[in-house]
Amino acid sequence: MYSFKTAMSSLGRNAVMTAASVVTIACCLFLFGVFLLFAFNINYIGEQISSQCEIQAFIEDTVSSGGEERILKEISALPNVKYAEFESKEQAFENYKKELGSEYSENFSSLDGSDILRSSVKITPEDLTRTGELEEAAAKVRGVARVVNREDIIRRVVSVTDVIKIGSLIAMLILLITAVFIIQNTIKLSVHAREDEIHIMKFVGATDGFIRRPFVLEGVIVGIIGAMAAIIVIAFGYNAAVGQAAEFLDLFELYSFSQLAIPVCGGLLLFGIIMGNVGSRTAIRRHLKV
Amino acid sequence: MIEFRDVTVIYDNDIIGLENVSFKINDGDFVFLVGKTGAGKSSAVKLITGEIKPYTGDVIVNGVTVNTLKKRKLPYLRRSVGVVFQDFRLLPNKTVYENVAFAMEVVRAKKREIRRKVPMILSLVGLSDRAKNYPNELSGGEQQRVCIARALVNSPAIVVADEPTGNLDMETAEEIMRLLMEINRMGTTIVMVTHSTKIVDDAHRRVIQLESGVVVRDEKEGGYNSDVLV
Repeated sequence: MYSFKTAMSSLGRNAVMTAASVVTIACCLFLFGVFLLFAFNINYIGEQISSQCEIQAFIEDTVSSGGEERILKEISALPNVKYAEFESKEQAFENYKKELGSEYSENFSSLDGSDILRSSVKITPEDLTRTGELEEAAAKVRGVARVVNREDIIRRVVSVTDVIKIGSLIAMLILLITAVFIIQNTIKLSVHAREDEIHIMKFVGATDGFIRRPFVLEGVIVGIIGAMAAIIVIAFGYNAAVGQAAEFLDLFELYSFSQLAIPVCGGLLLFGIIMGNVGSRTAIRRHLKV
Repeated sequence: MIEFRDVTVIYDNDIIGLENVSFKINDGDFVFLVGKTGAGKSSAVKLITGEIKPYTGDVIVNGVTVNTLKKRKLPYLRRSVGVVFQDFRLLPNKTVYENVAFAMEVVRAKKREIRRKVPMILSLVGLSDRAKNYPNELSGGEQQRVCIARALVNSPAIVVADEPTGNLDMETAEEIMRLLMEINRMGTTIVMVTHSTKIVDDAHRRVIQLESGVVVRDEKEGGYNSDVLV
């Protein structure tokens, strides 16, 4: 109770600095949240691209329908296969026409689909970085004529998303360190204003924990209010931003805010609390060495 | 009880604070620590309150060896040693009552205990009628009495007074001395650092004189200046 009362009165006494800190922390956590959402969505887009980057095992024309079933079973049982699907010659032809669109598909109306394309097994790998081994294993299955692996695309997607994820992580780390410094400076002002009080407390036998507690509480309160402000702005801004982005990114799906609410809100609040704690502890440390 | 056993203090800048100092202050004693500026009086006080640790030797306060005491145990030692400062160090935004009660609050004393003890201590130092005043409404002597009340409120066995009369006129200083003597009569050990010749000469109490970090005199009922050297 003493700690809470002291923390609240200290926040009130330094109202302007507290407000400035809350706004700055909110800005830092807002940017942190934006990077977090960005990282989640990049990951999601990466997954969507990767899922389209399947390996295709084309089946020899001489293989019977029973043989096709065997090939599908054998391929499904291979390691690193997430999902395997059989595509007949006719289905492949229909899909090809669909991909080209109605404008061109008319040119194929006179053709018999069963004569043009080969039936195949489309394989979605579990681990995108180990598709080479899967390609080799699929090629060894009896009746498979050729295996096409779009490994280069997969690798590019994985490396691009990795770079973006690492970049976001670095940016988030810088923002968090900045926020810790801001909280530290706010608490330093409180510590400075109460230097005599701390000194007296030390001399009459107050424990370090007792002296530290109101300052830590103060830092945590600043962190929480900052985090809540950032969450409100992000919650309102995100869905609108996704709506705008959807016009340019119609090939991909983005997360809605409700899908990410728990990790984002939880993460921001958690970081607000951690930053408040770390910032205030480091701010008061020197003053406890009496 | 305070005991210094061959205590040497060396500061970071290689300046010697104390050198092979040994003395023993028994429970209930009243001892003056005298000497010129830089003689080592402050080092001795800081050792008693656990602010610094000796380079060599042992400092024992109320049966606790301060130099080997763990940092987290230090607050508990300090509760048995009241400190009176020359510059009072009262909190300006708290009343006299609150300043004294604060010393009890921060050691988590019960509210009932605070309500019982603070008026008692204020009465002892003669400030019952000033309980609601703020420090800036008090004279220097009254502020020092608040400081003494704050040092006493947790019932310490020892009170260390670092030049408590340094900022006061002689008449007020004598008042403060009478108060400290009274507290000593009630059984509290008092260690008082002072530069005041008159106060020491009038008190006829034990005097430990330091010079350049060394005890040069330890006299049972001495004056500020004496020819008796150890």
